[in-house]
Amino acid sequence: MLGGLIARLRRFRRVFILLAVIGPGLITSNADNDAGGIATYSQAGAQFGYKMLWLLLLITISLVVTNEMGARMGVITGKGLADLIRERFGVRGTTFAMALLMVANAFTTVAEFAGIAAAMELYGISKYISVPVMAVVIWLLVVRGSYPVVEKVLLAIGLMYITYVVSGLLVHPSWGDVLRGSVDVPHDVVVSNAYFLLAIALIGTTVTPWMQFYLQAAVAEKGIPNEQLAYSRIDVIVGAFVTDFIAFFIVIATAATLYGHLSPEQLSNMQAGDYAKALGPVAGNAAKLLFGAGLFGASVLAGSVVPLSTSYAVTEAFGWERGVGNRFSEAPAFFAIFTGLIAFGAAVVLIPGVPLVGVILASQDVNGLILPVVLVYMLVLLNDRRVMGRYVNGPVANAIGGSTVMLLLLLTALLLVSALPGSPLAG
Amino acid sequence: MLFLTEVLGAEVVDVRQRRSGRVRDLAVRIQEPYPVVTGLVVSRSRELVIPWSSVRAIAGREVALRVARDEVEKYPASPDEVWLARDVLDKQIVDLDGRRVVRVNDLQLTEVRGELLLVAADIGIRGILRRLGVEGLGKAVAHLFGRTLPMVLVAWNVVAPLEPQAAETASAGDELRLRISGRRIAKLHPADIADIVEELGAKDRKAVFEALEEDIAADTLEEMELEDQVSVIEHMDAERASEILEEMPPDEVADILAEIPEHRAQEILGLMEREERDDVQELLAYREDTAGGLMTTEFVAVKEDLTAQQCIDELRRMEPDAESVYYVFVVDDQEHLHGVLSLRDLIVAPPEKPIREIMIRNVVTVRLDASVEEVAAVLSKYNLLAVPVVDAEDRLQGIVTVDDALDEVLPDSVKRKLPRVF
Repeated sequence: MLGGLIARLRRFRRVFILLAVIGPGLITSNADNDAGGIATYSQAGAQFGYKMLWLLLLITISLVVTNEMGARMGVITGKGLADLIRERFGVRGTTFAMALLMVANAFTTVAEFAGIAAAMELYGISKYISVPVMAVVIWLLVVRGSYPVVEKVLLAIGLMYITYVVSGLLVHPSWGDVLRGSVDVPHDVVVSNAYFLLAIALIGTTVTPWMQFYLQAAVAEKGIPNEQLAYSRIDVIVGAFVTDFIAFFIVIATAATLYGHLSPEQLSNMQAGDYAKALGPVAGNAAKLLFGAGLFGASVLAGSVVPLSTSYAVTEAFGWERGVGNRFSEAPAFFAIFTGLIAFGAAVVLIPGVPLVGVILASQDVNGLILPVVLVYMLVLLNDRRVMGRYVNGPVANAIGGSTVMLLLLLTALLLVSALPGSPLAG
Repeated sequence: MLFLTEVLGAEVVDVRQRRSGRVRDLAVRIQEPYPVVTGLVVSRSRELVIPWSSVRAIAGREVALRVARDEVEKYPASPDEVWLARDVLDKQIVDLDGRRVVRVNDLQLTEVRGELLLVAADIGIRGILRRLGVEGLGKAVAHLFGRTLPMVLVAWNVVAPLEPQAAETASAGDELRLRISGRRIAKLHPADIADIVEELGAKDRKAVFEALEEDIAADTLEEMELEDQVSVIEHMDAERASEILEEMPPDEVADILAEIPEHRAQEILGLMEREERDDVQELLAYREDTAGGLMTTEFVAVKEDLTAQQCIDELRRMEPDAESVYYVFVVDDQEHLHGVLSLRDLIVAPPEKPIREIMIRNVVTVRLDASVEEVAAVLSKYNLLAVPVVDAEDRLQGIVTVDDALDEVLPDSVKRKLPRVF
């Protein structure tokens, strides 16, 4: 009997370890469906119906692999990505990486504030009120260190995404079309400027550069021992699937409700309220309010995480004092980057007449263009025995990571070609 | 003075001016207090090292060998050697609490008696700018805003290499992290700068002192031996020297100036501010090994007709240095010494009480011409932190602190181990 009890406790022990190790992956997956994510997935469904699902499936594989790589690096080295880049690539390589990260994250922060503005407009609040107020609120939340509490509240708001799944099921999509869109590369629309642009945004919003830094730092911070790498892997891989499961249903719900009902002019100038209609089957007239609440929560969450994780990454790379526990004079670079990003994000959104959704989608493209560089840095590190020891990348991870880089470069090249005047790909 | 990143990539040229590869890394052997360079790594992948004994000189971007290319006995990498670029550069410096503080932006090397030693880690912005190739630009921009970009160095003798972490974390030897031992400072303490500077040649010393801010330069100079102080001041231009010396106690300035050529000393004195100059000139008049030569004119003296409260107010106004405030001397209008007060006496006395009534009258003093040994004996006998020096008419001229007296009578080796009182 005692033996049985011990065996049972042993089984529970595993559960306890898993509970101690999980977190980074799940939080990351939730923050991944931020303003950029919601807008990009909705736009994909509204503009191309199910014809981007095949790409979303490929991206899921990519996300699983990149998340696993980041978690593995975090567990094995106990260091963040910025740390490792500095130690492996020196000052020049680091300066280049950090400059790109700053650009990508500045645009991401803009997107989050655009998300805040768009969400509040659904409640009838002008962006000239919501954006400055939230900029100050976010700044104070993070500087006061009360961010962890807020994180939990905002994650709860993130549960709104489940309504997309319900909505996606309620609209009774043609599952045949869904299946076809998931496995078939549609030749008719693929060759167009708009498709390439949205495809880059779709990759850039799912496998974001900042996420690679945030996830690895969060895993390293937990100080997970090597033997528990398996649990950390479960955490991030499950997180990746959850992210894309929701993304999948956002596309289905918007495709079923909006695709084919909008003119090209409407499609190129979408409003948050248009996307909200995808929740109509669940929430009816309250769809806008529900969508607004979810968008707001996701934007505030990512709007706090992105500037904070950028400050950590840059100061870590250059060896400057960091942490919200310091005074401004003790860690000037840390606070300057953090404050500067929030100020920049809010300022761009406050420009009169700036198209909120347009800004969000464009920022995801910037992320998609910068992502290959970050992935190359990661792949070099992951193949370095001095860094990873016997945990270096296997051929499968290298192939998938490398393919993601190639796909992005190919899409970028196609985008450039299609943008040329008189290009056969234009349109 | 040389930086690691200036050596990396330098062309290796043999005795017949033939190219023999580029410097990829420097191998060092860890030893106390400064690691010594044992060889040039010319190929990282094949791990071949040219022994330092084959190197004649490093000049600019070129390393000259003293032998022909094919006579160099390259040796394979050894596990007890540390490669600076690979193992130390860019790594995190960790303080005693394991808090990650700064990164190694560059490493400073110095040639001492034919050996190349690793003396300090550059942890400042200058190191980052240097590696981006814009150090000059950075200095120019800082200059434009009326600032200097200080060199921020951590002496290697306060940075001890940490043993490699457990093997299972990664391949062995990867994790050479650093730990500041003894103190938790990020910036170099003047005493540490002094230790480095004492190892340097005259030219490099000059460069270091030009990079330091005046007060730090003065503190650093104070920590050095008289002989080295003299050499530093001799090589510095008079203007700069006078600015640094103004920040130092007059007795130390007098000691230094007494050792340098007369015309040079006068030139520097002439550039100093009047008040400091007078103090120093007065001290210069006394023989070095007497109380007069040893004393400092920085002391606190008040008139005897004050009350305790007035005396405290007076002290507040004077803002005396820590070195001089332990005793408050009481004098009359002709500077005759009448008594002494401790800060404690002053503070516990009722505010209205005249200090005449609380001061100690029989003050232990020494004469200007008392020998060093005599001064030390008095300090030790009466357990004093400082002893007042008076002239033949009992007029107060200065004080000799226990630090300055000990400096004179103790052998150097003992001095270094003593804690500083002031």
